[in-house]
Amino acid sequence: MFNERNSRKTLLITVLILLLSTLLFGCTNASNVSAPKGDQDNMLTMAWPRDVGEMNPHVYNPSQLFAQSMVYEPLVSYQDGGELKPHLAESWDISDDGKEYTFHLRQDVKFSDGTSFNAEIVKKNFDTILNNVELHSWLGFISKIDQTDVIDENTFKLTLTEPYYPTIQELAVVRPVRFLGEAGFPEDGDTSKGVVEPVGTGPWILEEHKVDEYAIYKRNENYWGELPKAEKIKVKIIPDAETRVLAFEKGELDLIYGEGVISLDAFKQLESTGDYETSISEPVATRQLVINSTKEQLSDERVRQALHYGFNKEVLVEGITSGYEEKADYILPTNLPYTKGNDAKVIDYDVEKAKSLLDEAGWTLPKGKAVREKDGQSLEVDLMYDSAESIQKTMAETLQAEWGAIGVKLNIVGVELTEQIQRFKDNKFDINFFSNYGAPYDPHTFLNIVLSEGFGFNEAISAYPNKAELLKQIAEVPKTTDEEKRQQLYSSILTSIQDQGAIIPISYVKKTAIYQKDVTNFTFPANRDEHPFTGISIEQ
Amino acid sequence: MGTYIFKRMISIIPVFLLATLLTTGMIHLSPVDPAEAYLAAAHIQPTDEILEQKRQEFGLDQPFINQYVSSIMKICQLDFGISYLSNKPVLDEVMTRIPATFQLALGSIVIAVLVSIPLGFLAGVKKNSLIDHFSRILSFLGASIPSFWLGYLLIFFFSVKLDLFPVEGIGTWQHLVLPSVTLALPLISIYTRLLRASVLDNLQQPYVLFARTRGINEITIMAKHVLRIAISPMITGLGMNLGKLLTGTIIVEAVFSWPGFGRYFIEAIFNRDIPVIQCYVLIAATLFIISNLLVDLIQMYIDPRISRKEGHRQ
Repeated sequence: MFNERNSRKTLLITVLILLLSTLLFGCTNASNVSAPKGDQDNMLTMAWPRDVGEMNPHVYNPSQLFAQSMVYEPLVSYQDGGELKPHLAESWDISDDGKEYTFHLRQDVKFSDGTSFNAEIVKKNFDTILNNVELHSWLGFISKIDQTDVIDENTFKLTLTEPYYPTIQELAVVRPVRFLGEAGFPEDGDTSKGVVEPVGTGPWILEEHKVDEYAIYKRNENYWGELPKAEKIKVKIIPDAETRVLAFEKGELDLIYGEGVISLDAFKQLESTGDYETSISEPVATRQLVINSTKEQLSDERVRQALHYGFNKEVLVEGITSGYEEKADYILPTNLPYTKGNDAKVIDYDVEKAKSLLDEAGWTLPKGKAVREKDGQSLEVDLMYDSAESIQKTMAETLQAEWGAIGVKLNIVGVELTEQIQRFKDNKFDINFFSNYGAPYDPHTFLNIVLSEGFGFNEAISAYPNKAELLKQIAEVPKTTDEEKRQQLYSSILTSIQDQGAIIPISYVKKTAIYQKDVTNFTFPANRDEHPFTGISIEQ
Repeated sequence: MGTYIFKRMISIIPVFLLATLLTTGMIHLSPVDPAEAYLAAAHIQPTDEILEQKRQEFGLDQPFINQYVSSIMKICQLDFGISYLSNKPVLDEVMTRIPATFQLALGSIVIAVLVSIPLGFLAGVKKNSLIDHFSRILSFLGASIPSFWLGYLLIFFFSVKLDLFPVEGIGTWQHLVLPSVTLALPLISIYTRLLRASVLDNLQQPYVLFARTRGINEITIMAKHVLRIAISPMITGLGMNLGKLLTGTIIVEAVFSWPGFGRYFIEAIFNRDIPVIQCYVLIAATLFIISNLLVDLIQMYIDPRISRKEGHRQ
């Protein structure tokens, strides 16, 4: 009896100690998080949904683009209107055959550890990237690189196997072509498995990082360019959008910016209080409907056009995005390079026209029925949308009603994002939502996926009578060294794709920013993936 | 008792085999290829070369049975593989996040126990009194308010309006209060009702009448006899909820930006990070088994009759 009672007591005490110690361990674990008040002067705090990731310039997920762009810099930077400006390269020469690119590097650039930025380190970075060429092959010029050479300390040459005009534009992307200092390379030189330390030339240096909690970047006092005004940037990781809003309202955050980082309702509500500043960017991408012309009902251009005429785009965009997105007339935003000469026909809401086009195509409305029919088959199509995206969902529901009114039965199918991409690629869709990549990837990346098989677009335009010609032109564009010819090709391709109705532009997607009143000079970067912290300042 | 614990631990094996089978099978049942999901999440345009390379890297080019056997072999060596997303060993990533989740779960258990024992007991002893009505309302709310909504409400009132606690994050005890309360409320609603019912039942038992006739002080009867026996079903409930609690932290962790295991798992689901999902399922299964075992042991302590029964069986 005594033993039994004793063992029960020991058991209980052990359990209690275990429970308490875990609790205490947890509490003391991170008690040093809150920084002393004095430290927070001139520090801008913002929220981001995901951890900033490993500060490695050469890898992708889970590293966040904006964070990589704070620490690492490109040779060329993408500016408003698609202008490509010198950055780490002061200038460049392109050979007449369009294959050799010679970069003259800036001489006053140092990495954050004090080492020099020169042609040797540029070559080392390129060679590391080329060791994993498959991983980076999505970026057109990478798989076309034939040779990398150091000409002298400040001159670097890139030789391609064939001319590829977007090379300069692609050098402005955030990953993988940005530069890590010598001290950051692991012993075997393979950065795809990790870096030793994040040594970059950028205006910011990672000072402190707690995975899933926060990251603090301090200003790089030896930065070669314009020194940022804020001393520190704190990125708090807050995965939930509503919590981000509440933290902002409480004043724990100075800034929330990005695409869809908070709901438009929340944005509108915060804006209406008048207590905060808000800002909306230029279009960063076009929200499109991709219509699969391999489907029998959708193979007739008149049906596709009827669908375009058959919904009130302006009201749809205004109503669903509260005016934060803009009605789109073209399949690519016109602030991208080569998109201005687009002669595509702008289509406005016209129900009668839509109905007559459908009648013309043989889809007539039998008496007493609500859905049009042709040869005993009814005009019924599916629209696939990302179930987690509220804008797509609401737009799908609205289109269902709008097209219902012209006799088209629209079934809306909500799927998870990864499944949406997969079905699109497998050509298992009637109509799908898509949005292009934006700057600095487009317009050439968009056309490239239209050209490539197995991405949905090539198949979607199958009913186009000039498909072969279009694909030939698309393949020709990047190899064209003549600027004027390139512009002509782009105009003709974009116009033809749009006019035949397999891609319907709906709205221009924009980024939103909301910030406290003491934050000034917030501007959106022209490059969709870059950080916006260069000119930003906080009033003391 | 040693043999009993050993037997219970052995029961983890079939659970483990089944869980591995399910998670490995998941890859084949899902319409989405993890390699594609990885590239989509990384905003990489999926070319055939990258896809092929990723599939090989993830071992997805192997037949199902090879994948299953190799999963089991690796897990036996506590190797849960490399996360598709971060390229780091899953176990290391999980271990750095588990303390935060445990802290949250324990915080809420402590609150749940501290509130529901007195409340449930008093509600039972003083049936239909004010406190009984209060416990009923609280239980009703706890059972019907979704955790994420309750979380937002608490943040709004106690953090934004009253400025008593931080909105999100981890670090000090203040950070722990709101998420623990959010997680504790549904538990409080269950335990309070459970204890109340059990107290009411025990008050009808002959031993209470007998104790009263022996002239034992009413407080002693209630505290030493009724409460001690009545609490038993509540402990069973607690045990059954312990595993659920650890998995239930998922939503609360997301709402309060708590850097725990649950949040890590959500990201893994969205990105089809199979090794992480597999590790999560196995750890959750093991926790369910261990928490149930823990409860049985505590019950043995509280009610020696159970341990004697076990003894006879052995």
